[in-house]
This record gives sequence, C-alpha cells and structure tokens, in this order.
Amino acid sequence: MTNLIELQNITRLYRSDEVETTALHNISLHIKRGEFVAIMGPSGCGKSTLLNILGTIDRPTAGAYLFDGADLAKMSEKNLAKHRARHLGFIFQSFNLVDDLTIYENIELGLLYRGGIKGGRRQAIEGAMDKVGIAHRARHFPHQLSGGQQQRAAIARAIVGQPDLILADEPTGNLDTENGAQVMEILKSLNKAGATIIMVTHSQSHADQASRQVDILDGQLVASVAQVL
Amino acid sequence: MLRSAFTAFFRSFIRHPLYALLNLLGLSFGIAVFITLSLFYRFETSYENWSPERPHIYEMGTRYHFPGMTEDVFMSAMGGLTEEIKTAYPQIESTRDWSNPVIVHKGAEVYNEQIELVDGNFLTFFGVPMLYGDAATALADPSKVVLSVSMARKYFGTVNAVGRIMTLNDEEGLKTYTVSAIIADLPKNTDTKLDMLRLLTPQRTAMEPYTWHNWGSGQLEAYFRFKTPADASAFARQLPAFTDRQIGQKFGTDVTPHKILELVLVPWADKHLIDPKLKAAIISLGVVGIVALVLALINYVNLATARAGLRAREVAVRKTLGAPPATLRLQFLVEALLTMLLAFLVALSLVELSLPLINSAGGLFLKLDYQTDITWLLSVLGIVLAAGLLAALYPAFALAAFKPAQVLASSRTPGGGRMAGFLRVGLAMVQFAAVAVAFVLIMGFMLQIQHIQNADIGFQRDNLMIVQSIRDNAVSQAQRESFIAAARTLPGVSHAAIANAIPGDQSTSNSSNIVRPGQVDSPTLSPTVNWSIVGEDYFQLLGAKVLVGRVFDAQRGEDQKWADDGAGDKSRVYSVVISRRAAKDMGFASPQAALNQPARFNDHQVRIIGVVEDMRFYNPNQPIPPKLYLFDVHASYAVVGMVRYQGLSEPKMREQLRKLWRQIAPDVPFDVTSAADNLDTYYKPERDRTHLFTIGAGIAALIGCIGLYGMAAFNTGRRVREIGVRKVLGASAGQVVGLLLVQFLLPVALASLIAWPLGWLALQRWLMQFDDAIAMPLWIFPVASVVALLIALVTVAGVAFGAARTEPGKALRHE
Ligand SMILES: Nc1ncnc2c1ncn2[C@@H]1O[C@H](COP(=O)(O)OP(=O)(O)O)[C@@H](O)[C@H]1O
Ligand SMILES: [Mg+2]
Repeated sequence: MTNLIELQNITRLYRSDEVETTALHNISLHIKRGEFVAIMGPSGCGKSTLLNILGTIDRPTAGAYLFDGADLAKMSEKNLAKHRARHLGFIFQSFNLVDDLTIYENIELGLLYRGGIKGGRRQAIEGAMDKVGIAHRARHFPHQLSGGQQQRAAIARAIVGQPDLILADEPTGNLDTENGAQVMEILKSLNKAGATIIMVTHSQSHADQASRQVDILDGQLVASVAQVL
Repeated sequence: MLRSAFTAFFRSFIRHPLYALLNLLGLSFGIAVFITLSLFYRFETSYENWSPERPHIYEMGTRYHFPGMTEDVFMSAMGGLTEEIKTAYPQIESTRDWSNPVIVHKGAEVYNEQIELVDGNFLTFFGVPMLYGDAATALADPSKVVLSVSMARKYFGTVNAVGRIMTLNDEEGLKTYTVSAIIADLPKNTDTKLDMLRLLTPQRTAMEPYTWHNWGSGQLEAYFRFKTPADASAFARQLPAFTDRQIGQKFGTDVTPHKILELVLVPWADKHLIDPKLKAAIISLGVVGIVALVLALINYVNLATARAGLRAREVAVRKTLGAPPATLRLQFLVEALLTMLLAFLVALSLVELSLPLINSAGGLFLKLDYQTDITWLLSVLGIVLAAGLLAALYPAFALAAFKPAQVLASSRTPGGGRMAGFLRVGLAMVQFAAVAVAFVLIMGFMLQIQHIQNADIGFQRDNLMIVQSIRDNAVSQAQRESFIAAARTLPGVSHAAIANAIPGDQSTSNSSNIVRPGQVDSPTLSPTVNWSIVGEDYFQLLGAKVLVGRVFDAQRGEDQKWADDGAGDKSRVYSVVISRRAAKDMGFASPQAALNQPARFNDHQVRIIGVVEDMRFYNPNQPIPPKLYLFDVHASYAVVGMVRYQGLSEPKMREQLRKLWRQIAPDVPFDVTSAADNLDTYYKPERDRTHLFTIGAGIAALIGCIGLYGMAAFNTGRRVREIGVRKVLGASAGQVVGLLLVQFLLPVALASLIAWPLGWLALQRWLMQFDDAIAMPLWIFPVASVVALLIALVTVAGVAFGAARTEPGKALRHE
C-alpha cells in the first residue's frame, strides 16, 4: 500500500514576545491508506499541534508535508480550503457543532464546501446519520442533545463528505465510558470501510483498538508501534 | 452555499433577539434621522423648483454701503429699474412682481388678499403651471385677473373660473375684472406667492411719482432671464457702470454711486438661502443627519465585531470543513447588506410615523412621496447601503481572519484581539463625545432662545394689539382718528396710538442721514437713522424708557407736526425723539449730551427733545437700528393702530376691536394681530430649527446608548468566567459591579471631556449670529458630562448587576 501521508522533519515553533516554544521538533511520520493511528502523550507535548498540521489548519515552521504525493506546503490558502473540503474530516473533543443549525443542517455543512457527492446530498446525509445512529434527532438543535449524541452528530458531519482521512482530537475526552465505547465502535467500523483515521487519545484501552500507536514526548516522536489486532 | 449562511444568520437573530434588536434599532434610528434631515435639506435647497426656468432666472437685489447699515442683500428693486435697464440693454429679458394688498368683494363680504401686479410676460417668463387659460395672453389687458386654484375655489367654488367676474378694490380703486386663467397652487418650498395676478399698469406706476425712479427705493421684485450663466455674469459686470450712469450726481458730487448702492444679480435658486446664517443653520442640520448615520454605523461595526467573536467557533468549524475565506467574507457582507436593507425599511416606517410630529415641531411641510421621490429614495438607500457595506468590511474581514486552530483549541470566545478591543472602546468614545456635544448644544440653544424670548426688548410685548387695517388706503383719516379715539374708551384699554413703527413689521422702514452742525453732510459719511412717524401716547403705550428729556406732547405747539412726505415747513424747527443707539451714532458722548441739540434731517431743522431706550422691534439676530421719531397727531401718514389693554383675554379684546371696526369702517376687512405673535415670526424659525436639532441630537444620543449597551453586554458576556473566578476567590457582588462600571464609564467620562472644547466652539459660533447673545454658560459643560455619564450608568448598570449576580458555579460552566 502507498503512503497517504508523509511528514518529513516537521518542526513547529510558537513565538510569543520573548518566549519561543517548540511544540513539534523534527517529526517524520508515514501513514498508509487504511491505517488507524492512535497518538498518545502527556498534555502539552504537541499532539493537537501535530493534528492541526495534518489537518492543514496550522502550518509547520519547517519540514515537508506530502498528502497522496502532493506537497501541501506550497498550496495557497484557497486550495488548502478546497483540500480540506475534499479529503479531510474533523472530530473535536468539544464537538464544535454550530449552535444555530439543526443536527441535519450541521451535517449538511460537511457537504457545503465540497461540491457534488455521489448518490446525492440527502442520501449522503441520511446515510451518515444512520451510520452513527442519530437520524431520529435530525431536527433537533445541538443544545437539545446529550454529549454522546452531539459527538455522534459531529462524526456524521466529519464523514458525510466521504473523506480520505479522519482527524479526531480526543474524541472521547468529554464522554463517559459507555458513550466513549460507542464512538470507538463507530470509528473502527469507518476504518473497516476504508477510511484512514488519526486519533489523539489519553486512553490506553482506546489506543489499543487502533492499528498503530504513536507516542510523542516534548514534541518529539518516541515510538511508533504497529499492533496486531 | 449562501443558503446555510442565511439560515445561521436568521437563527442567530432569533437566538440573540436582544443583539438583533439593538443592532436593527440603532441602525434604523440613525437611518431615519438621516432620511428626515435629508428630506429637510432637500426641501430647503429646492426652493422655486416649481418653475422649469429656475436655473435661468436671476433676481436683482441691492446692497447698501451706508454707515450703520447691514451688508445684507435686500431682495427688492426700484419699481422702474427694469424700464431703465430695458432702455440701456434692450436685449435683456426681464419681468416684475409687485405684491399689493387688495380687498376682494364677494357679495356683502370683503376679504383681504395679496395681488401680484406683474408684467405681461410674467406667466411665460417663469413657465407658471397653467390649468386653464393661455399663459401668453392671460395678462394681455388690464381688465384681466389670473387666479390660483385655491383662490378660484375660495371665490367661485370651482377650479375652472375662467370668464367669471371679480370685484377688487386696490390702489387703483374699486373695479371689476374678468378671470382669464387658472394657475396651479405652488408647492410649499417657494418664497413666491402667486394667489392673484393682474397687469402692472402705467396708471398704477404713475401713482408712485417719488419712488418709481428714485434710486435707493425698493418696492418690488425684478427678475431677469439668461440663456447661460456666462450671459448673466457678463450682464452683472456692466451693472456698476450702469448704476453710476443712471444715478449721476444725485447722491452728491464727491461719491461713486455704485459704491453706495450696489446692484446684486442673485441666481433665483440661491435666493432662499441668501442669508448666510440661515444657510449655515440648514447645513448644520444636514451635518446632524450625517452624524446620526455615522453613529449608527459605528454601532453596527461594534456590535458586528462583538458578535463576530461569538460566532468565531462557527467560522472555525466552517473553515475546517473547507470554507474558503472569500466565501466567509461574502457571507458576512451579505449579512450586513440584509441588515442594512431591513433597517432601511424599518427607518422608512419610522419616518412615516414621525413626520407629522416632526412637521409640527419644526414648522415644516416634509412628506415622503414614493412616486415622485423614488429616485431620491433609491439614492438615499444607495448611500446607506454603500456606507453600510463600508462599515461591514471590518467585521467581515476580522471574522474571516480567525485562525481555526486557536479558536477550536480554547473554549474562550475570542474578542478579535487587542486591536479590536481598542477599536470598540475608541468608537464608543467617539459616540459619547458626540452625545455630550449634542447635550451642550441643546442646552445652549434652549438658553439662548429662552433669553431672546424673555429679554428686555425695551417695551412690553404682551397685551398689545396691532390693528393693521388702519393702514388700508380705503380707510379715511377721519375714520382712523375716530377709531383710535373710540378704542381709548373701550373697557380694559389703557392706551391707543398710531405709528408706522410696529413691532414685527419692517415693511414701513425708512432711512435717512442726520447731520449735526459742523459735521460733513455726505451719504457715505453722515450717520443714518431709521425714522418713523408716531402719534400721541405712542411711547406711553409701549412703556418705553425715557432716558433723558421728554417725549412728544400734543399740547405743545413746537412738537406739531411733521407733514406728509417730508414736504414740511423748512423754516420751522421740528421736535424729534431719538433712541440711545442714534445718540451714539450721531457722536454724542451720552444721551444727556444729545438733549436739546439741533441737527439737519431730510432738509429740515430738528431739535432733540428726548432720548429713549433702544426697542427691539425686529429680528433678534440683527442689531437694533438707530431710531428717530417724528410726531404727527393726525394720522395723516400710512400708519397702523396699536392698543394696550389689561384685565381681559386676547380673544375678548379682538372681539371688542372687531365690533368697533365694523361700526367705523364696515367696507374694509378688519385685520388685527398681537405684537407677541408678530414678533414670534422672528423667533419661530430659530425655535423650530432648535426643535429639529434637539430631536436629531436626542436620537443620536439614543443610538450612542444602544451602542454602549451593546458593548457592555458583549464585554460582560465574555467576562462571565472571570467574574465567576473572582467570586470564588471572595469578591463581593458590589466589588464586581464597581469593577465593571469603572471599565465602562471611564471611556464615557473621557469622551465627555473631549466634548467640552468641541461643544464650546460650536456653541460659540452659533451664538455669534445673535445681536443679543447670552454669555457662554460654562455650567452646561459639566452638566452635559454628568448627564452623559448618568445615561451611560443607567445603560450599563443592568448589565453589570446581572453579571455580578450570576452564580459562580454557573459562570464557570459557561462556554
Ligand atoms: N497558539 C499558541 N501559542 C503559543 N504556544 C502554543 C500555542 N498553541 C500551543 N502552544 C504550545 O505548544 C505546545 C503543544 O501544545 P498542544 O499541541 O496543544 O499540546 P497537546 O495537544 O499535546 O496537549 C504546548 O506547550 C503549548 O503551550
Ligand atoms: Mg490537545
């Protein structure tokens, strides 16, 4: 299988006033299509920074990022937006649903900037809702839903555009054990269906369910262990 | 792609109704003030546009360069001026309009009207809108009369009164005329009054032998028409030489006539605002309209950027989902446009609702006519939308520039950074500075207007009736004298007198030189006095203050009498009374020094028997002219009657006088006014404009409050967590309120200080136009600041108390 993602010597510095923080230092990482990668590490070690760079909503200070062979560093803001709409799906710890839109409309947002979709919009949205079991809540607003339901809606929004890569930053961090397990099941079934997933987590048991675990410490890669499921 | 943006926009409107309402109302108020004052501005600057010839027409005015005369242009011309111009420049097109009083007989009833004696080309010259009859021939012969629609209705009960007969009594006597044409009623924005018109005849001009070709007199309006402005200025350049040729040595041998009497060719379109003070007043009201709009747009920027912060999460999510920045910017601009459009519609309804009120408060005739005003309204809408878009650019770009990674990582609502924070505080300060300036001006205006209305004007203006109809030519001298004598015996009447110096009526004003022995006798160097003829009891009736000497006494032979038209006995010495200002102008060190002094006045010997205090009969904006009074017990001159009364109501007094009039002069319509009403014509325009200004400035202040409230609500909303933490750490609600209030009120306090010098300058300029102005009232500045602060306090106190009462636990859970 080919590499979907190639990170070469990625470094990310934050400069604020006098202090310079090295959030990521010389990270090189290859991820193949269809992998399910769990990223672990203590708080503040750079996991979110790494995920944001992978998601192109942050740019590395140095290093190269190839996505499916294409160099993203050279891409304009406009083309990066297009890239996100076509290929990426985001899941956040705090769900980040738009308060003023219904669940259906929130999920529809995932198609909004993408252009056409195979099989038509409605089918795609309903299919995504079925996959996460949220269809009966389509007309509700986010604040009317429980945390678990909100996160499932957020996952539906992330997958409705059939992205190549799903980026999840502590998707179970705000959920109880049961809801967390549900989210993991959904992610695993998406992975089985062909999606590449990169997930940040603090839970070893959740990390164990991935196909590979990457450990980060102080902005540096310390281990990348493939696991047999 | 924009559909979901609209959905989110309208949902957030519903979810944040307060924000939506503040934003919409603030904008609508601002736009409404802008529309109203634009209407006003357009009304005032579109005078005479009923005439299609307006751009080509010019009116001859005169400016007199005499000592003691104002440099204002008088919009009147000598009766024979156009005749003299026609002889010298046959190619110049001109026409005349001479307003004369006329009595209309309708059955047994008589009515006072004004008739325009005009040249035969008048109707075609102006392109007067005709309903019936032919403009070219309607005034062809002197037996014809042209009526306006309302006159036709009044006297014939129908619009098409062509061919009907009318009996009129004017200077040419009682005659019948045939109605030859009906013209449209002119709109309100005109200084031209066209009710009835007839031909100006040689018989009529022959009745004015002294004035018709007497350079320096002015009785009618002379108009000229030119194809191009260049033709007009070419003609204007010839006027000084023409003036010098025509006057020759009539003003003396050592003077250049055009340097004393300057003919000024005024574009007719500029005539209404020829008074620079009026023009300045109109422009400043226009400025208030623009300021209100700007304040409203500032509100929009403030509230929109504040809300942008609240929507940052949505923006970030959209970005991660691949929304290009350009689309986001477009989305916010479209939102702004929608808001502006909605606000414009709300503003239009506000204007419709408030116009009757504003019209009565401002003495105006404004109206919105969607059919004829559509292009104007669209251009106002265009201005509003363009300004709105400009205002929306900042929030749109600020929003689209949010970095999603940072927004999504933190649970804090971004406020748009430190810059945006400064901007918000800065804009709020601009608003409150404007509000405080408005307060300063409103208070200053009120004080001045109250001052001139209550000021000692040298005589008692209340309980004083003026019987105008005594001046009518149809009233004989015997009738005048018996009316005055009988009026003195009416119950409640303490004095009755005749005079041609009347409070509030400048139409009988005459000016001449007065020369003391040993002084040079020259029209440019000798002092000029404004002179009037007064009868017995005149000064006593007014309650005038006699500074020195005495006033006229009918028992004394030497006071008798000033003959008609200045053709008195040249060997006699006449007694005159002068005013304080006249004594000063004549070079006397004090009123006492003037007593019993001789002088030459209008070719006669006079002796000053007394000096009276200046009396303000006319416009408070203008200096009181120096006065000289001549005595005439017999009411032989064109005089009016004045009646002073006590102890009964004005309507009762009017009724008594009317009854008396009916007995003495039943053929002449009775016409009485009160001196207070007469004088009010000078005070009303200023008062009306102040009302208008107060309304505009008051709404601007309201907009400022809306903005401050929005800012306070937003800032407090963002600080809920901080407040929660402070309370957990032991801060009392009072301390939290104090903290918040200081934060909001400090900028307001600073802004109101900035307002002091601005308000001082503006008020100073405004007061300069008054001859009798109040001293700068310094106390209004702190008061304006305190009022602005109090309003701000009330505005934000609710927000601060609400925030301070929040349970800390709830505040900390807040996201
Ligand atoms: N916007 C920023 N400015 C400055 N420093 C930052 C910023 N974002 C993250 N950092 C720093 O970068 C490091 C990595 O942060 P992050 O990737 O959020 O860690 P993690 O997600 O692993 O907890 C931390 O030390 C953090 O303080
Ligand atoms: Mg993190």
